[in-house]
Amino acid sequence: MNSRILPRVLAGPGLLDRRPLTYAQHETNFASSFRTTNLLQELEKSGLTGRGGAAFPTYRKAQLIADQHSRVKYVVVNAMEGEPAAHKDHTLLATNPHLVLDGAAALATAVGARLVSVCIPREAAATINHVERAIHERQRRSNTGPKFEVQTPPGRYVAGEESALVHWLDDNETLPQFRVVRPHVLRIGRHPVLVDNAETHAHIGLIQRYGGDWFRDLGTADATGSTLVSVSGAIRNPAVLEVALGTPLHHILETAGADTSPQAILLGGYGGTWLHGDHVNTPYDNASLAKFGASVGAGVIMVLPKQGCGITETLRITKWMANESARQCGPCAFGLPAMAEDLAHISSASRDAVAAIQRLYGRGQAIEGRGACRHPDGVVRLVRSAFEVFQPDINRHAKGQACAAAATSRYAPVPRLASESDLVWE
Amino acid sequence: MIDLTSPYLWYISRATGSVSLVLLTLVVVLGILTANRVGGKAVGRFEISELHRMVSMSAVIFIALHVVATVIDSYVPTGLISSVVPMTSSYRRIPVAVGAVALDLLIAVWVTSLAQEKMRNVTWRLIHWLSYPMYAAAVLHGFLTGSDSHQRWWLLLTGISCLVFLGALTWRWWQRPSRADGRTALSPLPGSGLSTQSTRRARQVDRPVPGRKRY
Amino acid sequence: MKKRNELLQLRVNPILCDGFGHCAELAPDLVILDEWGYPIFPDGPFSPGEKERIRSAHLAIRGCPRQALVLERLSVDTK
Repeated sequence: MNSRILPRVLAGPGLLDRRPLTYAQHETNFASSFRTTNLLQELEKSGLTGRGGAAFPTYRKAQLIADQHSRVKYVVVNAMEGEPAAHKDHTLLATNPHLVLDGAAALATAVGARLVSVCIPREAAATINHVERAIHERQRRSNTGPKFEVQTPPGRYVAGEESALVHWLDDNETLPQFRVVRPHVLRIGRHPVLVDNAETHAHIGLIQRYGGDWFRDLGTADATGSTLVSVSGAIRNPAVLEVALGTPLHHILETAGADTSPQAILLGGYGGTWLHGDHVNTPYDNASLAKFGASVGAGVIMVLPKQGCGITETLRITKWMANESARQCGPCAFGLPAMAEDLAHISSASRDAVAAIQRLYGRGQAIEGRGACRHPDGVVRLVRSAFEVFQPDINRHAKGQACAAAATSRYAPVPRLASESDLVWE
Repeated sequence: MIDLTSPYLWYISRATGSVSLVLLTLVVVLGILTANRVGGKAVGRFEISELHRMVSMSAVIFIALHVVATVIDSYVPTGLISSVVPMTSSYRRIPVAVGAVALDLLIAVWVTSLAQEKMRNVTWRLIHWLSYPMYAAAVLHGFLTGSDSHQRWWLLLTGISCLVFLGALTWRWWQRPSRADGRTALSPLPGSGLSTQSTRRARQVDRPVPGRKRY
Repeated sequence: MKKRNELLQLRVNPILCDGFGHCAELAPDLVILDEWGYPIFPDGPFSPGEKERIRSAHLAIRGCPRQALVLERLSVDTK
């Protein structure tokens, strides 16, 4: 496969045909006579980082588990995709599930694991179907290699968080765990677990066939390879694209068919950062985005057009994120709803708006870093970036002049709570 | 066993029984005040918590005296076994049995509190909830045993203690703190509402659910 | 054995913590409470030489109804 053409993980007839490739099609599609024997070395050469949001170097994570002295180890494919604005993992599994399974199998063999768990939210019936069929196809063909299974936790936002996912596998509750020391080896019982995002596994599958040097032929020196992005917001049909890291953002927006001169763009995820529309030429990679405090994150690109209201969107997202809190820790359980209330004052330009702005600053500082997981930190980061990017608008709201879109702006895909029962935690 | 009897043993048994009830009432009230986060201005919250611990020690001592006095008094044929195993006393089976239940519950609460740092907080908390039925059993034991239960002073004492207990229980529920509703908060009391939505107590699971796929 | 270049830090397990606030009363030099009653540790780690602070920390740890506090040892790299 030519190293400079896209798509890579989405390559093949799957997208166009809207059906996943069969094993035979998959083998033809990704034909290669080369199969690396030292996957960890190739991973190191490739510079692949996690595609789930944290961008941790994949080979280091794998090496940590490979170095564990345990007869039993597990590999987990994290396809939970709790971000409402992200669809890339589901699209990937609906297109090239075998590539993901390839990567998982290769990784499992490399670190010494014999069981691979593919974790898919139980509400995603179609994806579960695709993966189960793919697993059956593989089982019919050969009995060697690691065993696969599908696990289906409830699709809450924090369920995709590593420690919460492993805790669910261990003890049936999607609750993030308090980790004293990082890097921390996650365990099910006493057995170490290696958790990676589904897209990361797909890239591993390609690296296994084409090598680490092939992988880094795309992208930049620090941000190698390609990545999947989910574009939503001011776009006719929300799209999933595969882009080379380092591509300028406006180019991505153009290809996706989104508004190319937006007011702002939400990058990373709902715990991510707003980027001002003026910087739409920024290359899409962590080093370039870091200048604006943003990051690639989970590949979410949510476009806010000029006729939207950034504060209202931030409010909608914060309310939803507050509800998605596991409510284990006081600062998150109480702090996030409090921040949502303050944002509501600002959004509606009420008389309390000025005081609310002051309170928000203080609360953001108080809440940050005081939860067991990074959920509250993400929301604080989002709100802070909103204050920077939408400063003029916030000033007007504070003076009582809400913008025209304040009441109606609805660009960020935020799920609506159907009923109280959605609040029940499992 | 030694054939020991004396009217004084009998008086000690009854007296320590009544004192124990008063102390238990005090302990439970202090515990409720701790749980409802009372204090912080004139009296520190930790002071109430410490008081709860200290008075409970006194209560345990008086209950121990009560049990010992009753057991060694051979006039009343209740042995050590029947003080902890219900329904094994030949003398006044039911009243002693209820007392035994109260004592068992007390031992559970007391021992787990001594070893609190060695166990999971959830386990400790669940067992500590047994203090409520323990109190009820103690009061019932007092009524049924009947040595003084026809006396006006005793009825007044027990009556007031019960009222205080029930009042404290009600207040405990009514003024329960809104909390983060975490998983380790295995209290049956739900949190009293966060600002944007009310939270509902979810399934309390701290052990693997049967039937779930396990590795 | 106490190492010289070692610092101590009082930390809370935020999942176990239920906002009782005993720590802020017992160790006011180490803990303050946020608006919802949960502990914040405004100062950074302190050296093992500060006996008063260690005493406060131990009082707070023992007095916590949820046993959520722990005194952590951080080793400091000396350059």
